[in-house]
Amino acid sequence: MSLSVRKIVISGILGAISILLGVTRLGFIPVPTPAGHATIMHIPAILGGVLEGPVVGLITGAIFGLFSFLQPGAPFFADPLVSIFPRLFIGVVAYLVYFATKRINTVLACVLAGAVGSATNTILVLGMATIRGYLPSEVSVSIGVLHGVPELIVAAILTVILVKGIRRIRPEEENEPQP
Amino acid sequence: MELTKNITLGVYLPGKSFIHRLDPRTKIIASGIIISLLLIIRSYPAYGVVFLFVAAAVLIAGIPAGYAFSGFKPMLPVLIFMWIFQLFLYSSSDAKTLFSWWIFSATDAGFHMGALVTLRVIFLFGVTTLLTLTTSMVSLTDGLESLLSPLKAIGLPTQELVMTMVIALRFVLILAEELDKIIKAQMARGVAFDRGNFIQKTKKIFPVFLPLFISAFKRAEELIIAMEARSYTGGRHRTKMKTLHLGRVDLEAGLIMIAFTALIIYLILITVPPI
Repeated sequence: MSLSVRKIVISGILGAISILLGVTRLGFIPVPTPAGHATIMHIPAILGGVLEGPVVGLITGAIFGLFSFLQPGAPFFADPLVSIFPRLFIGVVAYLVYFATKRINTVLACVLAGAVGSATNTILVLGMATIRGYLPSEVSVSIGVLHGVPELIVAAILTVILVKGIRRIRPEEENEPQP
Repeated sequence: MELTKNITLGVYLPGKSFIHRLDPRTKIIASGIIISLLLIIRSYPAYGVVFLFVAAAVLIAGIPAGYAFSGFKPMLPVLIFMWIFQLFLYSSSDAKTLFSWWIFSATDAGFHMGALVTLRVIFLFGVTTLLTLTTSMVSLTDGLESLLSPLKAIGLPTQELVMTMVIALRFVLILAEELDKIIKAQMARGVAFDRGNFIQKTKKIFPVFLPLFISAFKRAEELIIAMEARSYTGGRHRTKMKTLHLGRVDLEAGLIMIAFTALIIYLILITVPPI
């Protein structure tokens, strides 16, 4: 298996955006809940999946996960099973959703990919945090609703806007034909 | 709003200290060992030893301690908040109640859980920051490539993956400057980023995100053309201009690491975990 230059560069740069949103705290939306912040740091992983396929989505998610493990924003992320493992799936799931629904409508496919990718992150991270005993299950559910829903909405909107914007500046042959 | 000020990740402080002179592989392995130990430590004396070790490393490397931890400042409120949160919410069957207030009660189990996890976060941050501050990007790449090369046997494109990591680290600072410019430009147009409730604040993300991603993807396209024009291929048959050599310092560091690991494991075994 080898990676094309395009896949290497795009995953690297999307990973960089994830890290940047983390270190500048810009990726955290202040939502008034016990866990502090909702996040939009997973959006690069969703974009990677939608624009470049599952491999880039996986690598971008891995970089995001590795970063949130090594420079944790919340204590329970200091555990690779909570911080890295769930993030591997964000881009892959987003890609699968996008691939399955793009024949109906590309805008709808982006909305769904963003929403489901975001939900994957919320559910798997909180699920793992609960299994590993960092959060009581009732608290996880309430964080899931209070954070998961705004995250999901923001991710869905951003995915549509960003995919549309980015497709304009990419070389023609890299974009799939529009219906 | 100065965004690039608090970024220590991906910054390299050149120097000639013992730690700077170590082979990157030694530093990566040592950091890996400390990180793995941090995941299993559940005792305060062991954390004390880790603290002394990391503090000594920072001193030897000659890094200003204030600078090393400046990237940590924005996290502090969240950490304190989370500690309080765990103090009240975490409980186990035999937990003693420290004090109660309204419907909340703080338990000693929650206190220790919060303390241990917070300490882990602080040291994880410290170790990775120390590694990137004392190792240049080139040697970090060489070291990682050399350490991961056995994985090529099972078909993983290790060289390409390391390249991806390096691009990511390298671009954090470049994109941070870009982001700074975008935010200043939007503020000049009258966007007040620090005002409004959370929905209004969330809305203000959009005029920042789109230009950021567009500019990042423009840079990506340029980098792709530049790399393809130079016929970049990862993987086999690549040779290095500078090859890595283990020296006397690495042997000394290895011995220190063995002693440190043994001490930590001994401390873990003899102390009863607080929870």
